[in-house]
Amino acid sequence: MSDFVFATAQYESGDWDSAPLVPANIIDTIARYTSIDVAPTGVIVPLSSSSMFRYPLLYLTGHLPVRFSEAERANLRRYSELGGLLFVDDHNHDVDGTFHKTATEELSRVYGPIKTVPNTHALYRSFFRFDDGPPTTSHELNGWGDNLVHKTLSGVERRGRLVLLYSSKDYSSEWNYHPQNKRFLSVDNTKFAVNLVVYALTR
Amino acid sequence: MRSRADLRRGVEWLLRAALVVALAVALWRSMMARSEAGVARRTTVRALPAALREAASAPAVTGLHLAVSETPSPLQRAWLVALRRAGVAVTWSGSPPAIAAEASRAREPRAPARIAVAASAGAKIVVADSAGVVDTLRVGAAGGGALVESDGLISPVTASSGPFAARVALPQAPESRAVLVLGRPSWESKFVIFALGEAGWTVRARLPVAPGVEEATAGLLPLDTSRYDVVVALDSTASGLSAGIARFVAQGGGLVAAGSATRLASLRALLPARAGERLPGRILLEGDSVTPPGLPLRPLASLAADAVVLERVPAGVALAARRAGRAAIVAVGYDESWRWRMLGGASGAASHRAWWSRTVALAAPDRSAAPSPSSGGDAAPLAALVGALGAPVSPPASAASETTNALPVILLVMIVLALVAETASRRFRGAR
Repeated sequence: MSDFVFATAQYESGDWDSAPLVPANIIDTIARYTSIDVAPTGVIVPLSSSSMFRYPLLYLTGHLPVRFSEAERANLRRYSELGGLLFVDDHNHDVDGTFHKTATEELSRVYGPIKTVPNTHALYRSFFRFDDGPPTTSHELNGWGDNLVHKTLSGVERRGRLVLLYSSKDYSSEWNYHPQNKRFLSVDNTKFAVNLVVYALTR
Repeated sequence: MRSRADLRRGVEWLLRAALVVALAVALWRSMMARSEAGVARRTTVRALPAALREAASAPAVTGLHLAVSETPSPLQRAWLVALRRAGVAVTWSGSPPAIAAEASRAREPRAPARIAVAASAGAKIVVADSAGVVDTLRVGAAGGGALVESDGLISPVTASSGPFAARVALPQAPESRAVLVLGRPSWESKFVIFALGEAGWTVRARLPVAPGVEEATAGLLPLDTSRYDVVVALDSTASGLSAGIARFVAQGGGLVAAGSATRLASLRALLPARAGERLPGRILLEGDSVTPPGLPLRPLASLAADAVVLERVPAGVALAARRAGRAAIVAVGYDESWRWRMLGGASGAASHRAWWSRTVALAAPDRSAAPSPSSGGDAAPLAALVGALGAPVSPPASAASETTNALPVILLVMIVLALVAETASRRFRGAR
C-alpha cells in the first residue's frame, strides 16, 4: 500500500461529494512536487465506519447543512485522540452560510472550541513558504470574487499538533478542476495542499 | 519470754547481716569479673547497641550471642563481623523469614519503578516507601515472589514480613538522550514519532519530502552518542546515513531497524537478522481491530549467530536483537505498525506506544550506575546475616545476659533497704 492515500470523508447529511475533482488534483500535485509515495486514486471513507482510521488525513467539504450522527461524532472524537487530522473546507466561502454555521457547531461539539491558526504556524512552512498565511483563492479576490478575504484558518490542536483544520476560503472550488488544466495557470494554486499533506505526514 | 524489743534487735542484727552479705557478694562479683578469663554475653537486636559497645570496649567479653527477633541493621551486622574478626565468638539464633527485595527501572523515560519481592510461600509482605505503605501482597502457595510497579516512589523501599524487613534503594531514573527517527514522510514515521514522544522520549527526525528537501529537526547531525541514544531507521531513507549509523553503533549507540531498512545492504553487517519478503496483513472487516499478528510482516530470517529472537508470530520471527557493547541492535519485522495504533481498538494506541518505547529501550545503551554501597540497602537480610555470621545455632543455656542482668540493681536495692530499715528501727526505739 502507498504511504499516502487521499481520503474524502463521506457524512450522512449534506453534499460531501461537492468537489469531486479535488482528490485527483491534489494527488497530481503531491506526485509533482514531492517524493511521497502517493496512491494514484483517492478513496471515499464514511465517517461512521471504522475504516476511516486507515486514513490519518481526511478531507471534508460541502455546501449544505452538516449534522453528524452519533457514530460519526464518536469516530471523529477518537480519530482526533489518535492523532488523525481532519481538513474541513467550506465550499460556500461564506461566513454566514449554512455549511459554516452547522459544520463549526458540529465540530465544536466533537473537538471543543475552534481557534484561529496563527499565520506563523508550521503548516505554512512545512514545504512551500506561505509567509502571509493561507493563500487567497480567486473566489475571495475583488473583481473575480466577492472581496471577502479570510486572513486565517481555524483549527484545534492536541499535544501541539493540529487535529482539525477548518477553512472558509473555499479551496474546494479553487482546486476542483482537472489536473491537466494546471498548465494554464501562471502560479499553481494547489501548492498549499502539499503543505497540508506534508504537515499531516510528518507532524 | 523474749520481749518485743528483743525481737526488734534480732531483726536489726539480721538486717546488718544481710547488708554485710550483700556487700560481700558485690565485692566478690567485682573481684571475679577482674579475675575472669572472659564472659559470654547474650543479647537481643533491641539491646544490641549497648552489647556491641560493651563487647567492643570490655576485653573480658569473649562471646556474644544474638537472639534475632527482628532485622539487625547492616551497620550492626558489620560491627558483629568486626567483633568476630577481633576474636569474639559471635553467634546468633532465631528463625527470621527468608525475604529479599530488588528495585529496578526499565530504560524508558516514564517507566515505573519495579519492586520484586521474594519470600516464602504464604508470607504476607508489606511494601512501603519513605512516604508510607505502597501495597500489601501475599506470596502464592507455590512460593516465589511478587512484583509491584509504581510511579513516584520515594527511596528507600522496604518489603517487610512482621518485624523483618528487606530494604532497597531505588535506582536513579536512567539518563536518556534523544532518539533519531529516519524515515519517509508516512503514517509509519508520523506515528512512531508520536508514540515515542508520548512515551517521554526526546525525538528528532529526518523525513525527506522531495529530492533535496527534508523535514528535519534543526541541528540533527552529527550522529554521536553524546546526542543520541538510539537511531530508529524505518525504511531505506536511512541508507544515506548508514556509514554514520555504523560509527554510532561502534561508539555504543543503539539501533532499531524496521521496514525496508532491515533489507539495506549497508546495514547488513550490523543487523541481527535480514527481513524476508513482505507478507500482507490480515484483512480487517468492519469494526474489526488489528493486533501485532495481524500486521503486515517481513519475517526475519538469516539470524546472526549472536541474535536473540524476542517476538515470534505465526507468520515468522517479528523481533530479534543482538548486543553491541552497552547497547543493542534490534530488527523489527512488523510493517506499518501505525495500523495497530489507529485500528487496534480501545487499547491500540497505548499498546503501540508501549511497544515502541520498550523496543527503543531495548536498544538504548545501559548507562545505569551500579548501586552505591552507601545507599543504605539491605536487600536480603537473612542471606546477609548468614553470610556474615554463619548459620544460626541453638541459644546457649549458660551465657550471661549482661545487658539484661539485674543482680547489681537487686544488690543495691537490698543494701539500701537493709540500711534504711536497720537505722529506722534503731532510731524508733531510741537507740543511737
